[in-house]
Amino acid sequence: MTPVIEFRGVSKSYRGVPAVSDISLTIRGGEVLAVLGENGAGKSTLTKMMAGVVEPTAGEILLDGKPVRLPNPAVALDLGIAMVFQETSLVPSMTVGQNLFLGDEKAFNRLRGVSIASQQFLQSLNFNVDPTALVSTLGVAKKQMVEIARAVRKNVRLIIFDEPTASLTPEEKQHFFALVQRLKESGIAIVFISHALEEALMLADRIMVMRDGEHIVDGPASEFDRDRIIRAMVGRTMTDQLYDQKSTQRPRGRKVLTVENLSLGKIVRNTSFSIYSGQITGMFGLIGSGRTETAKIIAGVIKRNFFHGGTIRLEGRPVRYRVPRAAVNDGIVYVTEDRKVEGFFEQLSITDNLRMGHLASKWSAPWVVKPSEILPIAEHWRKALHIRAINGDTHVVELSGGNQQKVVIAKGLLQKPKLVIFDEPTRGVDVGAIAEIHALIKQLADDGLAVIVISSYLPEILNLSDRILVFRQGRVVEEFLPDQADEETIMYASVH
Amino acid sequence: MMPKLLTGWWHAFTGAGDHSITVPPMDGPLHPNTRLEEASRLAEVELPDNLCVHAGQILFTSGETLLRLPPDGGPASEIARHAAPVTALASDGRRLAVALADGRIVVRDGDAAAPELRLPAAAGAACITAMLFDGDRLLVANGSAQNRMADWKRDLMEKRVSGSLWRLGPDGGAERLAAGLAFPYGLVRRGDGTIICSESWRHRLVAIGERGALRPLVSDLPAYPSRLTPSRKGGYWLTAFAPRTQMVEFMLREKRARLEMIATIEPDYWMAPRHASGRSFREPLQGGGIKQLGILKPWAPTQSYGLVIRLDEAMQPVESFHSRADGTIHGVTSCVEFGLRLYAASKGANCVVALDPPFLMEAAI
Repeated sequence: MTPVIEFRGVSKSYRGVPAVSDISLTIRGGEVLAVLGENGAGKSTLTKMMAGVVEPTAGEILLDGKPVRLPNPAVALDLGIAMVFQETSLVPSMTVGQNLFLGDEKAFNRLRGVSIASQQFLQSLNFNVDPTALVSTLGVAKKQMVEIARAVRKNVRLIIFDEPTASLTPEEKQHFFALVQRLKESGIAIVFISHALEEALMLADRIMVMRDGEHIVDGPASEFDRDRIIRAMVGRTMTDQLYDQKSTQRPRGRKVLTVENLSLGKIVRNTSFSIYSGQITGMFGLIGSGRTETAKIIAGVIKRNFFHGGTIRLEGRPVRYRVPRAAVNDGIVYVTEDRKVEGFFEQLSITDNLRMGHLASKWSAPWVVKPSEILPIAEHWRKALHIRAINGDTHVVELSGGNQQKVVIAKGLLQKPKLVIFDEPTRGVDVGAIAEIHALIKQLADDGLAVIVISSYLPEILNLSDRILVFRQGRVVEEFLPDQADEETIMYASVH
Repeated sequence: MMPKLLTGWWHAFTGAGDHSITVPPMDGPLHPNTRLEEASRLAEVELPDNLCVHAGQILFTSGETLLRLPPDGGPASEIARHAAPVTALASDGRRLAVALADGRIVVRDGDAAAPELRLPAAAGAACITAMLFDGDRLLVANGSAQNRMADWKRDLMEKRVSGSLWRLGPDGGAERLAAGLAFPYGLVRRGDGTIICSESWRHRLVAIGERGALRPLVSDLPAYPSRLTPSRKGGYWLTAFAPRTQMVEFMLREKRARLEMIATIEPDYWMAPRHASGRSFREPLQGGGIKQLGILKPWAPTQSYGLVIRLDEAMQPVESFHSRADGTIHGVTSCVEFGLRLYAASKGANCVVALDPPFLMEAAI
């Protein structure tokens, strides 16, 4: 069978720095190829070349055996190649339906007709998304679903997914896997990048591992296991370091935060819980269970109900924040789940991003932070968190996902917090950086800070938490100690 | 003055601050369990209370009767019967002080009876809730200046804050140590000599300082605290006789509804905390408390609950023993440690139960 797409000795360099070197690979119709590697390994660059987002600096791309040039995504799309990006490319001010049909509009469009067609199409994919909802009102997971649906709608021959399941719930993931299976059966080639190795092993026909821009190994998925993949990715075995080593449970410190009957519309419903210093409190729940919204209310990012919205007590004192700055001044820091939108200014340097964090803290003068003042602070945090960049002037957009996340964390930590809320701290982060971020979170708790970790990944919750709160339908429904809980118990509590 | 008044109105309008109808969660060290419900039932007596250890024996009361509890079970034996219900007991190992509902305090020193003591008239109604020996003097907590001990529910629903703490000398002289307490129900002395008092209606534990200054040690408890007792192995035990619920908090903030309820309904059927619930169809019931297929969910809102809390040296909760909505060992008003067991008196279940906390076992090893 002729390969759908073939790469021959393809390389890509940015300002002379090679991102991808001499890659040769073929992808056939009806085949699922998982591209794995640490952040910065060159996976995204490789797939962007397939989708016409960037052009190779050397080598040749063949489509159906014929050399082609893919100067932009529109050309690639015309040739049947679509990419679903990790950061969604939807238009936030348009409805889901309008986004699905974007570019295919008729001369006269009826919004109702677009919505009905979208509804039918989304239902056929088993995606529970309201086609009339504005994209800006959707959560990350639903945006991802719309993005996937849009690619599927184009009747393409090759679909590239960049971290497609990072923000999906377990149930949504099952839908996604079934969808991939259907696409595969219809002869569509699929390339997906994922940090979830189990998914790659389960879903892929073939696995390709990259490291430092080079093609390390490639073969049928049946020849791989988790350890072999990790060894190929990082040159060492990290399974134990990541999720199998549970440290001893930390003793409970003083009560730092009490949330009493907190309410926000139908999202957070009369929920109550406490947070203690010197401990990591894990919060687990399916997407839509209200855990992120609860955290955001605590941190002043969103406001609770105006009437009878409940009470939040910080060290016994009732607090109600209308803006995050007041929460930051009181020592509450929220490390966002959506770092690209809420976490940093991607066109600014690491130092400038940290400067923004410093400006928000009460430790700085309210409007001026001198460069001489911020440089040593930025350098300190860059080294403390092992942010890998040439220097502090590196733009955040040029960093890998793990290092970007560290910048967001550093921005929060330089506020000298007493309560740190990590929302999906390792989403879209490579294996090596996950270990470093986990170590950092544990260190914060050991230093006596109250730490909340919100995660959809149960091994992470079980590995990090000294106490686990399970959210369902807007409230805390169960509390577990790690020795009382396993994945099944927690999942049961979050669903039933 | 004005900003405070405006703030008050604003809070009343938005349901924030003092007007928020919220209750703290039972989580962390107060995470619900069934350890109190599973405790061994020992003596079955009506409305047991005031557990204390005196001269190597466990004593408690039931109405006017003073009883002795065999530590390993068996029926309780009567020691003395008084003219009025006993409201508090205290012992220093040698002397036993018995407070009666009529305001008298009888102190027995061995077999000899000392002169009776009384609170001064300034204390108001005799509502002696707790006592503690302080050398040759006696510390006495008076729960309310308006209501007697049996009317504790009325005292809460009338939102009284008229409790006081007194020091009585052997000659009958009285000194007021603190006033303006919201139903002081338990007293204990810390290692450094500080007197700690549980204030039921403010759901907190306070240290009594110089000239009656109150320093909160634990605030915003999710239940109404009652008696305090020290643990041999460090720390303290605190009982809580009823849970706080949003419905009761709501009644406490709705003055007209509350006054009408007090005026027109029998106290047994008030929307108020109680020692036992589910005994009459006339009791107010919240939606979640409705039995389904004959089963009451343990997390159903309830006006009664069983809770014993272990506190550390700093008076912070460390662990707890619960009897939940579907249980019966509710209305626990006192507990005492004896040997390796903890004994608790449940007014809701009309029995004394014995717990075997691992903490005491570990400490013994």
